[in-house]
Amino acid sequence: MLREEELKTFVDGTTRYFEVAAQQPATIGSPYLLEGDLAVHDYTGVISVSGKREGVVYFTAPRAMLTVLLMKMQESDFSHENMRDLVGEVANTISGNARKDFGHDFVISVPSVLTGDKPEIPRKAGMRSFVIPINWRSHSAKLVVSLT
Amino acid sequence: MQFSGSDRNGRLLIAGAAAAIAAVMVLVLIAGFRLATQIRASVGALQRTSSLQTYPAVISQQLTALRQRLGTLEYTGHVHRELARTVQNFNRRLSGVERRNLDPAAVRHAERLWQNYTPVLAPVLAFSGEPYDDTDTGSSLSASGRKYYDEVRQAGIFAQGNAPVLHSELAAVSAALQARTSAAAARLRTLLLAGVLAVLLLALAAAYLQLSRARQQRAAREAQDQTRDILKTVREGFFLLDADYRIGAVWSEALTHLFGRSDFKGLAFEELLRDKVPADTLATAVKYIKLLWGERARENLMKSINPLGQLEVSMDNGRGGKESRFLQFDFHRVMGPKGVKHVLCAVGDITSSVLLARELQEAQENAHSQLDMMIGMLHADPLQVSAFLDSAAAGLKHVNTIMKEPARTDGEFRKKLAGLSRELHSIKGEASALSLMSVAERVHHLEDMVAELKAKSDLTGNDFLPVVLKLDELLAHLRGVREMTARLVSLKEGPAGEGTASLPQLRIGDAEAPQAGRPVRATVDLGALLEQLAGKLASDHGKQFRLTLTGLGEVPAGYLDTVKDCAIQMLRNAAVHGIEACETRRTAAKPEIGEVRLEFRRLEAGYEFVFHDDGAGLSPEALKEAAVRKNVITAEEAAALDNRAALALIFRPGFSTRDSISMDAGRGTGMDLVARAVYGLGGKIGVSTNPGRFTRFKITLPAAGAASAVA
Repeated sequence: MLREEELKTFVDGTTRYFEVAAQQPATIGSPYLLEGDLAVHDYTGVISVSGKREGVVYFTAPRAMLTVLLMKMQESDFSHENMRDLVGEVANTISGNARKDFGHDFVISVPSVLTGDKPEIPRKAGMRSFVIPINWRSHSAKLVVSLT
Repeated sequence: MQFSGSDRNGRLLIAGAAAAIAAVMVLVLIAGFRLATQIRASVGALQRTSSLQTYPAVISQQLTALRQRLGTLEYTGHVHRELARTVQNFNRRLSGVERRNLDPAAVRHAERLWQNYTPVLAPVLAFSGEPYDDTDTGSSLSASGRKYYDEVRQAGIFAQGNAPVLHSELAAVSAALQARTSAAAARLRTLLLAGVLAVLLLALAAAYLQLSRARQQRAAREAQDQTRDILKTVREGFFLLDADYRIGAVWSEALTHLFGRSDFKGLAFEELLRDKVPADTLATAVKYIKLLWGERARENLMKSINPLGQLEVSMDNGRGGKESRFLQFDFHRVMGPKGVKHVLCAVGDITSSVLLARELQEAQENAHSQLDMMIGMLHADPLQVSAFLDSAAAGLKHVNTIMKEPARTDGEFRKKLAGLSRELHSIKGEASALSLMSVAERVHHLEDMVAELKAKSDLTGNDFLPVVLKLDELLAHLRGVREMTARLVSLKEGPAGEGTASLPQLRIGDAEAPQAGRPVRATVDLGALLEQLAGKLASDHGKQFRLTLTGLGEVPAGYLDTVKDCAIQMLRNAAVHGIEACETRRTAAKPEIGEVRLEFRRLEAGYEFVFHDDGAGLSPEALKEAAVRKNVITAEEAAALDNRAALALIFRPGFSTRDSISMDAGRGTGMDLVARAVYGLGGKIGVSTNPGRFTRFKITLPAAGAASAVA
């Protein structure tokens, strides 16, 4: 069973990114269990996890939210590539935080970024998925922890 | 400590021996100096006395020479002067003879003999004229010369006669001086010999002590090496605490690894744990350490109340993050002559043991839970269990839907809690009724979490993380129950039935889409369910009552869930609060076996559902008192309530007459659930009671609702 500390590590990694990059912390909404397929947002950063746990963790955010985030970061390039890089950076922060907390127990991949509303996110049968809404300003993204 | 004390004694002994050597040498030198001085004086005296021995003979010779020169009329002036000088020298030297440590008689005797010379020598030495008369015919002795000649001759005769005696007397004095010098020299030799011997002995003693000390130091070094090796190798962290609760100068290397620091010297125990444990745990730990210094504290007793026997600490994981570890602190008092001297602390990392124990406990609990589950299922109808599982899946889907509702503020988060409570309470009631205690306990735990959130201020999404994890665990457990039920069905049906025994898999998305916010739940055999629940409640609470069910076949499918939920809650309330123990009933002149009746009937315009028990009834005053105690209403509001309004308190969320929460009562959710379910269907609920005699609930449901609920 996934432990609360493990879940919190991924959540903290995500909220910390907003705090550091945009000097405005993100809060989390009410977490829930994923039913069926998740309607992902425009950009999704995925990290694969193996070792003690197997599965994926991904952060999916709408373009509008990423645009405001880039603005807060004094960026003026709102291109598709820059959006991808930004989501990748969030996923990278989540990954770094997990490495810091879990050490060698977890093997965490380099993040990959997917776009569109139906990306191919690898999932295993019987894998439970926790959805944690990430609220920042008026926008909302989602962190999905899907680990066996 | 023993080694350093011995070392100090050894040093003192060696210093003492060196001081003794120095003292002996000083004494020997002083005594030797005095003896040498004495010998030097004696030698001088001896030389002088020896030289005196020649004087009598010289005086005699000079007198003879003087007489001969006078006889031959030769010049005598220079001989006369020499004689005078000799006598003068002899006088001076004899009076200067050292008399200390000499026989005074011998010196006095020599002096007396010399004094006898004076009368005969004095006229000779007094002569100062010319002894010759010179004429043309030659020279001759003058009258004074003849007298001088006679005096010289007499003095010569005297000197010749007494010189040997005087010489022998002076020789005796010399011999005495020589003897004294020899004795002093012998003493000096003895003294030097004794001094050398004493110094040698003391040097030997010092050498022996030095060797002993070296041996002790070697032993101490070896012991220190061994201690160091032990402290380096041992897996526990060891250190000593002083009376100021500070760490001493020595600790085992494991402590450095355990705490990731090495600056322990003088570190306060409180600082060691600060930021690693919660503040209240730290305060308890510090209080406990202080208690250890009490003279009256018994070690065994103290050990039994050690709050640090299994301490969860948050430590740096070496990668910039934190990790939880479990440490075990063990304390032993080190007693000295004046009481407790130190407290020896042993710290062990028992993380793996604790985690293993937890895993074991979890495995045991799972095994027990599976056993309980199997036993429960053996007693239950598999189809009923299956229906419950469908019902629970629908309920949990609703729980997840509540969780999914967006929330950002405390109010929005708090709004979820009442709905979660009701849904979970309903599932728990049904699980209890089917004796699926492993499910009921898990739901109960989830209810506890929700109750804790209700009491918390400023709710955030973080507070709901444990809830969603527990929800996931509950769903996993229900999947296990479903699989086991399928196996049981398969066993009962035998090999022929294997193909048809599998039950649909439980997933959150399986239930039908919700109508009016809540999914439709599967149907169960309500009568059997309630009979089973009544038996279990009677057994759990030591009550005896008879359950009479009437008209349950009339319950339309659309109302089955509501009637079931209401009946379960009211039956639990009746068993826990209503029906009295047999003895109480006897005292109150009531039948020992209580009576609970549940009647469902169709009316012209709808349905009526009556629940009646002949228990203790409801006391409006007791209800008001409990509502104030539970902060459901204020004391002023309570005072303003009439009996009818007081009875309505039981439908308020969070209201319960019990102060403690059990599996069957105390949360104040059950009647709230009943009321909401009834009102949700457009029904009404009424309650009548006679304290000490009965409680009756009458629920009326509209006819139209039954059809729409079915649809």
